[in-house]
Amino acid sequence: MQKKIWQKINRVGAIGMIALLGAMPVELYAQQAWEPPRTVDGHPDLQGYWDGGPANASHSIEDGCCDVVHARMQSRTPDRLGLLEPLIIDPPDGRIPYQEWAEVKRTQLLYDMETPTELGHIDPEDRCLLLGAPRSNYRGDLEIRQTKDFIVILYEWAHAYRVIPMDGRSHVGETISMYNGDSRGRWEGDTLVVEARNFNDQVWLDSHGSFYSDKLRVVERWELVEGDAIRYEATIEDPNVFTRPWTLAFTMGRIGGDDYEFFEEACWEGVTNKHRLAAGRLAVEAGERQLHTHEEESQ
Amino acid sequence: MRISLPFMSVSMATSFLLALAVSGAEAQSSNLQGIWQAVNTAAWDIEDHSGSLGIPAGQGVVDGGAIPYQPWALLQKQENFTNRATADPLASCAMPGVPRITYMPYPFQILQFDDRILILYEYVHATRTIYMNGSDHPDGHIDFWMGDSRGRWEGETLVVDVIHFNDQTWFDRAGNFHSEALHVVERYTPRGPNHIDYEVTIEDPNVFTRPWTMRMPLYRRQEPNVQLLEYECYAYAEEDLAKDK
Repeated sequence: MQKKIWQKINRVGAIGMIALLGAMPVELYAQQAWEPPRTVDGHPDLQGYWDGGPANASHSIEDGCCDVVHARMQSRTPDRLGLLEPLIIDPPDGRIPYQEWAEVKRTQLLYDMETPTELGHIDPEDRCLLLGAPRSNYRGDLEIRQTKDFIVILYEWAHAYRVIPMDGRSHVGETISMYNGDSRGRWEGDTLVVEARNFNDQVWLDSHGSFYSDKLRVVERWELVEGDAIRYEATIEDPNVFTRPWTLAFTMGRIGGDDYEFFEEACWEGVTNKHRLAAGRLAVEAGERQLHTHEEESQ
Repeated sequence: MRISLPFMSVSMATSFLLALAVSGAEAQSSNLQGIWQAVNTAAWDIEDHSGSLGIPAGQGVVDGGAIPYQPWALLQKQENFTNRATADPLASCAMPGVPRITYMPYPFQILQFDDRILILYEYVHATRTIYMNGSDHPDGHIDFWMGDSRGRWEGETLVVDVIHFNDQTWFDRAGNFHSEALHVVERYTPRGPNHIDYEVTIEDPNVFTRPWTMRMPLYRRQEPNVQLLEYECYAYAEEDLAKDK
């Protein structure tokens, strides 16, 4: 315990800090007053269990979830419909800036998912695929662990994980593509900045067919903020699919007590999609095509 | 060593005891962190086997040679072997269970923390959290593919007790199997900076006549840029498996 206190005092440089605070205007003083808990390496301590972002976002990062039909199925009350807080902060309209051809393809996927005839019509989440960054972070609860050289994020969903090297090494070769991509982290002050690339083009950003290509680049910013929370921001860039880089952001709260543990969530081992495909093929043969919408929501 | 505390001053005694405690704490654990891999043929067959197409020959890793099956279980194992191309749980890309995940020909990464050890496996992104905080297994029975792991240090050896398995995983491609009563005790002992002696005791009164042990070295991957990549078995096989799964 004594050792910890001395480390803390050394880290903060208490005497220098006190002198500095004395010279600061009042509002700056207020901004400096909160100090994040830190690891022995002196970086903010992000470790622990966190909730996975705003409810409903993984269904649609633009519209949330769900319509009244869905709501009945899921026993949702009206106050739990829709996007409970805006996720996309840039552009300001909260919509993904798709290129024209990509908007057409996405609309096509909103039809296909209602009557899937091939696996690519089914939400990657329903196929237990790794969901990459940033979707994994608003899909469900996550656990962060830090060492000097690595930050590890464990996701309860489908026992997914990411290992983020912090040692400045370069990314893997360009021809290696992965569902979760290849992440590299660094500290910018007290903000953890993670650059992810080497994605494949198999995963969507939500259940609404929000697809991207293997040119996807994601820059994530993880910042511990007052109130035992993490402010998360992801800037998304893909010159093949979007007209410009865009950004989503949300706050994660801490979950769990001292003895909290994740359980194994085996996904693939229990999943079946053949009936959905069979039903989808029958529907298409019968000429039944239907757009997946949330129109009832606004009625 | 003889210690005559009464002749020490209080402060001397305190420092002495503190030093004992610190050195004791250091001896109570090892640094197993890094990326490791087994280099053997146990994933195909943990017993002696000849080579066949696509499968390298190998010497068994089971102490004493043969697995002590109950008579009915030996017949089941032989049936499993006959049907292994489709009956092996890995043919449908399920999680391999413990200990098979350790000797799959894929790397895994160990990370250590005060209260837990994480093992992250490249193969189907399997993970294990080994709780080191003295907690007990949760009440059960629970059907986990990878079991529930609780660990402790015995000197420099990491000892992991694993229960709460389902009966769906095999020990290898040759059909060696267990029931949900499986109880695994793993022992990870460092032998120098780049080797771990891995010893596993298998207990399952439903299937075997007595506990038995397998052992093998684990090797540290030496490539300076080594990292876990992905082997997403079911994603690669999804098109085929979706036809009847």
